[in-house]
Amino acid sequence: MSRKPYQRELPKTTWFLRHARYKKYMLHEISAFAVAVYLLILIIGLFRLGQGEEAWAGWLSFVTSPFGLILHLIIFGLSLVHTTAWFKAVPQAMRVQRGEQFVPGPTIVGAHYVVWAAVSVFVLILAGVA
Amino acid sequence: MSERTIELEVLRYRPEQDSEPWFQTYKVSCPEEWVVLDALNYVKDELDRTLSYRWSCHMFVCGSCGMVIDGEPKLACKAFLRDYGNRIRIEPLANFPIERDLVIVMDDFMEKLESVKPYLIPKEEKSIDQGEYLQTPAQLKAYKQYSMCINCMLCYSACPQYGLAPEFIGPAALALAHRYNMDSRDVGRKAREDTVASHEGIWECSFVGACSEVCPKSVDPAGAIQQVKLTSAIDYFTSWLPGGGSR
Ligand code: SF4
Repeated sequence: MSRKPYQRELPKTTWFLRHARYKKYMLHEISAFAVAVYLLILIIGLFRLGQGEEAWAGWLSFVTSPFGLILHLIIFGLSLVHTTAWFKAVPQAMRVQRGEQFVPGPTIVGAHYVVWAAVSVFVLILAGVA
Repeated sequence: MSERTIELEVLRYRPEQDSEPWFQTYKVSCPEEWVVLDALNYVKDELDRTLSYRWSCHMFVCGSCGMVIDGEPKLACKAFLRDYGNRIRIEPLANFPIERDLVIVMDDFMEKLESVKPYLIPKEEKSIDQGEYLQTPAQLKAYKQYSMCINCMLCYSACPQYGLAPEFIGPAALALAHRYNMDSRDVGRKAREDTVASHEGIWECSFVGACSEVCPKSVDPAGAIQQVKLTSAIDYFTSWLPGGGSR
């Protein structure tokens, strides 16, 4: 008997709309983009600082303008998505075995949050905010 | 025993008659204790002998009855009807060609499985008289989770990367390669590396993580792949250090 297997294609651009978990994945991917955009904004800030007081003041007024503030909020939200998603995934990528047991996932994730908080406080102190 | 009439919308594809798949609905009065596989068996025995699907053990061991149930890759023997509504949509595993009805063509998976050398490559072959290759419980623990795979291919059905780039070796095969790499009795990591650490191997994975979410045996193939990425990246960088490898 001759065979005639039927091949179903995955739609190249809309595949991620098919399931909630794929949409979540896309959100994680987009969040990486937001982090990159913020890095760019910071680098431009540094560059403007190097160009003198007036250039710096211009950059500062951009980031503190209503548009700048909204941008900050959006990027902050997406950065949180990004951070929590990757912290959650760490125990999968990094297993720590002690004897016959693995260090529990929540301990590893928790340690990441502790370090994150410590670094944030340190940066805030450096910035003279805390 | 409480019963409920359930409409099973089953994807049909009969290569000698159909030019493309279509859905056929079967009405079945099902006890709540049934799993989807029981309902399919009822259809096959009582309503329509032409319906084709794979199954064997009925107890999550053989890995044959993988199908997509209400959009989710599942073992039909592990999908309890009590968790579903009165209409259940049953399709063959996604990302594989359909041979007939719910039966998919799994040749690609078999080839990929073979390509990662999924067997023990010991440092020295021992004869049976020389005894076993010994291992401590801790050494066993290091890879045990990855040895639980039953080759059901649910992870391939869930993986969009495999759907978009069919050359991807895919979750289960890569997890199995990791299983042997992590085995204290095995020295085959180098022999597997060309396949595993290639573009079609771990680097094709973008860590969607769907494979691990659908795996009925909690193998966590996504985790295995990320671990291999880590070791292979470390290998790569240390190979540039003085005395570190052949580069
Ligand atoms: S890794 Fe899990 S989902 Fe994939 S084939 Fe093995 S048992 Fe099935």
